[in-house]
Amino acid sequence: MEDELTMCEVREGAVGKLELLFDRHYPGILHYFQYLTSSRSLSEDLAQEVFFRVLKYRHTYQPEGNFRAWLYQIARRVYADQLSKRKPEVAMPEEAREISGAALPPDREFQKKQETLMLRRALAAMPGDKREVLIMSRFLELKYEEIAAVLECEVGTVKVRVYRAMRDLSDRFFALSGERAS
Amino acid sequence: MNCERIREQIPEALAGRLNTADREALVEHLEGCAGCRTEVAELNAVWRGLETVKSGMDDAAPDTGAKVRFQEMLAAYQAGMAAAQPAARPAVNARRTAWFPMQPVWRFAMAAGLLLAGVLCGRYLPQSGAGGNLEMAQLRAQVENLHQMVAISMLQQQSPSARMRGVTYTEKIAQPDPQVLDALLQAVNHDANVNVRLSAVDALQKFATGPEVALAMVNSIAEQESPLVQIALIDMLVQLDARGAAPGLARISKDMKMDEMVRQRAVWALRKLEVQG
Repeated sequence: MEDELTMCEVREGAVGKLELLFDRHYPGILHYFQYLTSSRSLSEDLAQEVFFRVLKYRHTYQPEGNFRAWLYQIARRVYADQLSKRKPEVAMPEEAREISGAALPPDREFQKKQETLMLRRALAAMPGDKREVLIMSRFLELKYEEIAAVLECEVGTVKVRVYRAMRDLSDRFFALSGERAS
Repeated sequence: MNCERIREQIPEALAGRLNTADREALVEHLEGCAGCRTEVAELNAVWRGLETVKSGMDDAAPDTGAKVRFQEMLAAYQAGMAAAQPAARPAVNARRTAWFPMQPVWRFAMAAGLLLAGVLCGRYLPQSGAGGNLEMAQLRAQVENLHQMVAISMLQQQSPSARMRGVTYTEKIAQPDPQVLDALLQAVNHDANVNVRLSAVDALQKFATGPEVALAMVNSIAEQESPLVQIALIDMLVQLDARGAAPGLARISKDMKMDEMVRQRAVWALRKLEVQG
């Protein structure tokens, strides 16, 4: 409720209060874009744009609405605008490129590192909509109700979409690593 | 419960968000279903792996410049707002009014005295008044020109935040100027940064006095990539009561290449302009 009250004050003209919301949510928004774009500098630009739009469209915020869901709705539109401007660039993490096909010693630490890189590679290769729902659920830890508000769909749909995204990621990961859990 | 319904609950179960009844149903199902057990094992491996990916990302060095950038944007926005709205008339200062007589008769006497002093000054003082007024007018014109020059120059800067300041700076310009108008239209049409384009749309309101500006705004809608800017332009046309823009808006409302929200907004704008007419 704290966010919602602060946003109501911003909406009424106390725009300086937006700094509180920036401090609380900038890291999450930055991560959201980082997972989507794999580019730190692009993510920083997009995250700044989100807060600019919060300011510009503050009068459209509905006091009864969940602030975090509204914020991520704006973030989605910022990302969609970015995609419409240029070809989607989901850069494969550089380390994942390096490690691809390399023979690693069966050391546990190296194995774990390799698995992480494979996962990042699998994540980057996923379709945008599936990656997005997974990012919201797993990395940003948004509740299903919040994701439903962001995506403007039913909670049940979110549940199915998260599962399908996990299934897709799992298939890609095990295809890359060449082994399946048993 | 069938396997499909059970599997849809696995991510929630892995996140620890499943309620007790559903969790018990899931466990009971897993005891008798080898396929779903394998599914849980695979998704669990991936789910745990994602934790490492997440912590790797969270450990990224904090962005120290981000706050400064944000504060700069906020300050520019506040300056723009302050310039756009006439400052609220400050409450009458008690110290400044202490000398003012409360009795009407003394007020009248003071007014008469001031009037007499004004007449005498006008008649007997040397002819510096006309020259002084001329100098004041010249000074005002110089300041105005300077404002225009600064705004145009800032609008041509490389940095988006400097261009943004240029847009907000145009609010200081008292008289519509063709060069500033042109610079703002250029910003609306061609600026690479969507925030600068949006702010330029707002700033245009002050200068959009003629039908040619409304036409330029309608033409700009078709050129824009961002639906937000397109909607802002449509809203501005309604605000300006630009009825001449109706044919252009009608075209936009039927253009299937446009974003659906933009088309709907154009339909709304047409209705509003019709009502206003």
